[in-house]
Amino acid sequence: MGMTLKILIVTLFFNAVEARPISYSGGHTIMHFSDSMKESLYYHYSPSYKYSFGIENLNDKVFSKSDSYLRFTYLLNRKNKKESQRNLYFQSAFSPNDSNNFYGVHGDWETRRLFVGFGYKKIENIIDYDDKFIQLGIAPYLGNYGDFHTWLMVKTKKNSLNKKQITYPVVKFFKGNALLELGYDKKTDWDIHLMYRF
Amino acid sequence: MIRLLFILLMSVNFIYSDENHDHSHHHDVYVQGEKLEVDQERFKTFLNGLSDSQVAVINVNGMVCDFCARGIERTFARDKTVKKVDVDLERGKVLIAYIKDKEINFEDIKNKILANGQNAIDFTIIKI
Repeated sequence: MGMTLKILIVTLFFNAVEARPISYSGGHTIMHFSDSMKESLYYHYSPSYKYSFGIENLNDKVFSKSDSYLRFTYLLNRKNKKESQRNLYFQSAFSPNDSNNFYGVHGDWETRRLFVGFGYKKIENIIDYDDKFIQLGIAPYLGNYGDFHTWLMVKTKKNSLNKKQITYPVVKFFKGNALLELGYDKKTDWDIHLMYRF
Repeated sequence: MIRLLFILLMSVNFIYSDENHDHSHHHDVYVQGEKLEVDQERFKTFLNGLSDSQVAVINVNGMVCDFCARGIERTFARDKTVKKVDVDLERGKVLIAYIKDKEINFEDIKNKILANGQNAIDFTIIKI
């Protein structure tokens, strides 16, 4: 059984790295993320809705190495309106064992029907590179609280390491405290995000 | 001109009476005059099994997804004076049933909802 499959089973009903980087005050979050460049397991705790800190174990598929990171995320700005919410986050991480680190911003705006998200990350590793994405989504139906929710999305991402821009479809499902996000591109294979809050 | 003044006076009188109606009988307007706009069916279901209680109906800004509203239910459920919590995403409302003797404090509600990252902007209390 592959490592990815094992993590998937252990963390079945987990959530998305980019989706909600900070929980509610006192909330714990555990996530699994996997794509063509990395695979990570990340836990964070939010003492306040404004920031979270956590630890991430990351398997870097590009440089074939594994590392642990201490992560900190801060909510720079949030605007709550009756029918929308807008967020801007600062994200950072550093590895105590290595000189690896990354930092960046992540933003989103969403209503119950529409979602727009973006992210920019600068990664300092054996070779420094940056990573950016834009994600757009629409909810095909509006579920009530406690229902099974679905989002149909499109994501475009590019990093300066392989200089390729890829655009691919993503589906996001969530129910209760669990979220699953799946994206597929024939060149880069699957993007898998799992998250669970408690 | 007189006709215009008459219409204006009648309008002011109508607005005034609407803002100062007795909540214990009608329960359909907030203190600020905004319509309560609860889903009647949902509200009826919420009231099932409740008696000698008071229900706080809270307008919340930023409550756009189920996943981000989870903490609201969790936070209020910890309060021993709370009997039931319901989140209405469609109308951006949170319904909280308290025991009848609880002195409901809007500042406390606002702080608890803010701890989840949203803003409570208004509320009304319905005694049942």
